[in-house]
Amino acid sequence: MKKIKNTLQKAFPEIELSLQLDGRGILTLAGECTDWQQVVAVGHRAAKLPGVKNVVNELRVPGLAVPEKDYGPLRSRGLKRGVVADVDLLIIGAGISGCAVARELAKYRLDILVVEMTDDVATGATKANNGNIHPGQAEKPGTLKARLNVEGNRLYSRWAKELDFTLQRCGAMGFITSTLLWPALLHGYRRAVKNGVDGVQLVGGRKAVALEPGLERCGLAPQVKGAMWLPSMGLVEPYQVTVALAENAADNGVRFWFNCTVADILTEKGIVTGAVTTEGIIRARTIINCAGVHADEISAMAGDRCFTIHPRKGVIAILDKAQKPKFDRLCEHITLKTVKQSLQKSHTKGGGMCYTPEKNILMGPSALEIPDKEDLSTSAEELAYAMGRGDETIDYSKIIRIFAGNRPADYSEDFIIEMSPVTGGFINVSAIQSPGLAAAPAIAKRVEQIVVEAAAESGAPLEKNPRWNPIRRRKPEFRHLSRREQDALIQRDPRYGRIICRCETVTEGEILEAIRSPVPPASVDAIKRRTRAGMGRCQGGFCQPRVLELLAKERGERWTEVTLKGEGSNILLRPNRPGAGKRGAR
Amino acid sequence: MKRLDLDLVVIGGGPAGLAAALKAKELGAEKVLLLERNTELGGILQQCIHDGFGIHRFNKRLSGNQYAQLFIDEVERMDIAVKLDTMVLEITADKKVYACNKHEGMLEINSKALILAMGCRERTASQVLIHGERPAGVLTAGAVQRYINMEGYLPGSKAVILGSGDIGLIMARRMTLEGLSVQGVYEVMPDPGGLTRNLVQCLDDFGIPLHLSTTVTAVHGRKRVEAVTVAQVNEAMSPVAGTERQVECDLLVLAVGLIPENELSRAAGVEMDPRTGGPLLDENFMTSIPGIFAAGNVAVVFDLVDHVSQSGEIAAAGAVDYLAGKPKGVESYRPVRAGENVSFVVPQRLNRECGLTTFFLRVKKPEKVAALSCYTGQKQIFKKRRRYLAPPEMLTFTANASGAKGITVALEKEASRR
Repeated sequence: MKKIKNTLQKAFPEIELSLQLDGRGILTLAGECTDWQQVVAVGHRAAKLPGVKNVVNELRVPGLAVPEKDYGPLRSRGLKRGVVADVDLLIIGAGISGCAVARELAKYRLDILVVEMTDDVATGATKANNGNIHPGQAEKPGTLKARLNVEGNRLYSRWAKELDFTLQRCGAMGFITSTLLWPALLHGYRRAVKNGVDGVQLVGGRKAVALEPGLERCGLAPQVKGAMWLPSMGLVEPYQVTVALAENAADNGVRFWFNCTVADILTEKGIVTGAVTTEGIIRARTIINCAGVHADEISAMAGDRCFTIHPRKGVIAILDKAQKPKFDRLCEHITLKTVKQSLQKSHTKGGGMCYTPEKNILMGPSALEIPDKEDLSTSAEELAYAMGRGDETIDYSKIIRIFAGNRPADYSEDFIIEMSPVTGGFINVSAIQSPGLAAAPAIAKRVEQIVVEAAAESGAPLEKNPRWNPIRRRKPEFRHLSRREQDALIQRDPRYGRIICRCETVTEGEILEAIRSPVPPASVDAIKRRTRAGMGRCQGGFCQPRVLELLAKERGERWTEVTLKGEGSNILLRPNRPGAGKRGAR
Repeated sequence: MKRLDLDLVVIGGGPAGLAAALKAKELGAEKVLLLERNTELGGILQQCIHDGFGIHRFNKRLSGNQYAQLFIDEVERMDIAVKLDTMVLEITADKKVYACNKHEGMLEINSKALILAMGCRERTASQVLIHGERPAGVLTAGAVQRYINMEGYLPGSKAVILGSGDIGLIMARRMTLEGLSVQGVYEVMPDPGGLTRNLVQCLDDFGIPLHLSTTVTAVHGRKRVEAVTVAQVNEAMSPVAGTERQVECDLLVLAVGLIPENELSRAAGVEMDPRTGGPLLDENFMTSIPGIFAAGNVAVVFDLVDHVSQSGEIAAAGAVDYLAGKPKGVESYRPVRAGENVSFVVPQRLNRECGLTTFFLRVKKPEKVAALSCYTGQKQIFKKRRRYLAPPEMLTFTANASGAKGITVALEKEASRR
């Protein structure tokens, strides 16, 4: 303890630090810093010290208000409503982790409920990342991240088959054009081998050019000296994966409650008994915390304050499809500059240029430590960072959408997946930042193991759900069909003959199918994530009124009740003529 | 898959497509088909319930829907084949059109000639790099117009408008009349973007302030818009630090420019002009693919519907000639150059025997008086004194431009030669 204090005090002499270390190695920091970046820097430094497992960071900056959610009123509201459900398993958060865990555990005879504070699945970090299914070469060997990333990447092929989402194994390549950089390549390769990355190879210039025709096209081919080839790199639309997981979970009996915030966790004699939510009290034998950026608050509610989430914002720009990707694989030109950059930034440097399975170029994300978990604003500086890490020839006028997501990072910068040693029945699936999407199938398996073992220990081993069906089929996507198939589809179901979103060629049939799906979307953005309506170059300028109309009609809502992205984000305020304003109709 | 064979297919039933189909029929084209993606003809005119349409063409002040109805009635009278609620998915260089609708499924249409009249779309918040949050209440002017005029709903109560083009100005007045309080119109350029008559009738008459050289840099509010940050810009159009201020509002209306919708044209291999965002056109508004013509805002963004209709008629006449196997002139085009104070000219190239040709152009910068001049080589073929020139007002003139040499169109200051 003394050693920890000395080291930290020496590194940050200007801060008066007060420290507390518990038996588990959880170090609690308090004191005053000059700015937020310093708060984060101290936390990171402390987490690296021997004997420290993780950091609870209470450092503050005088004058800087860190917004905190006031759970008090939400809690009283829930308590007033009384017990509204009694389940075996309560999952908090419907991001990729929550939905993956729900789907995995649905194979047992368990009553499972997923509660989500927003109006849909995949609304947090899950929707705002680059969709890369990383091979696992970038993670520090020996970390949980490294192991679950490689394992998760491998399991994705099966997921894609069972759940019928698009997975493109595009492969990735880091190439050099100067032999001086061989050591950098070799370093990366050794780490990849250590992590057990599938199929990783060091290849010479000629082989690299053969693997990536884009090198020839852009005239770099003669200069390429060598490359690290990672065939297991994949691409997905992260919300598509999450929707598929949620739908399959729902098909297998899992329930989803949206707009339901957890305000407290109830325990008796150190064991969870339920949660107070805005919908009421939910009794539960086991609670799994998949709450993303809010996971530290949930864990604290359960009496296990063992980490702090420091949100790291990533800004992403999506370009018009007319802008074609330069490379067929995900390629990174390793230069002295990029090597220096990755040495300077100890955690994530963010992403570079890649593309989505629908072939939009995606720039970013950037990486900025911020105090406010719900700050998803973008700025010119962050955009410049996101744009600058790719190809310098990319033109800003090709941007069709800029958005941001917050990575739920803790100070150990590793995943926390464990049964709480303090509170029985409480499982943390926390600090799941990159490569959380790639690791998701392995995360789900690991949680399954924890739940199964806990049940066995308690003397009531889990029984398999005999009706579990791992297969989910996607609905027809008009744009991916041949003209002949499109014709056949319209003949079978005329709703597919009306195009609602011109830019992405999304039909009325697809939107109606989405609204009637097992985990129905309730807002215009939720429709967008399921069907791509509004995701194209006009950003819903033409189709938003039509999508709104379909939502109102199908859900029996007034037009003024339809939201862009959940409670409080109503698109229309009031009717301006008689006759308008009826439920389901104009 | 249903197959159709036609002489002329017009893609888009807005003002350009309506005028084109009518003119083609009038000039004797037989198998003409008009395709419209919406459930009614008229295009965006249907939501333009303000007046000022048709002043040049009909010498009357009509509303957009009235103007459209004149053409729609005529289309019905002339018994022109129309398919509504029909979306064109693809056109090919050999003039095959794939379109679909609910009732017929996929249509494979073989046509001898095509007129592209798909119009344009609006630029969005991300495209003009507005940062901050992304709440409900950020809409393009066209979307707001649709909600208010067609659907019967108000998307806000306190609005800020970015962009002083005609659409922004019209919406400032429209929203005021609907009881919204319009906080101001902000324009990044040092000069207003709309027609003078709209500045007077839509802003001055209602006391709505116009802030030039000022832009919206950020949106605030996580669920619905609560405010926007505005800032003055320097000559390079970058926000000037220290000039930022917040304006409270619950609606940000974007009238920040129109983009011709040429995705179908590009996919077919039609050659584009980066200055207009539309295809490279000749005097008949024919594109680089023989038999494929373009008209209206897909060709170049016009400001008056009268000109849009006119362009449709030019394309139709060209298409009818093409169908009759009467290719004018020779195989090699002469370029049309944008000279002094001209940002672009349409058509961009001419046949030798082009004859009487209608030109459309915009000036680069405002000018009190200048001579609109056209030359073939050194020979002046047109000259007219024009007053109060500004980029928002498209200029047009007609001249016999036949000849062998290149064309130059310029706005020459009085007393100065080219």
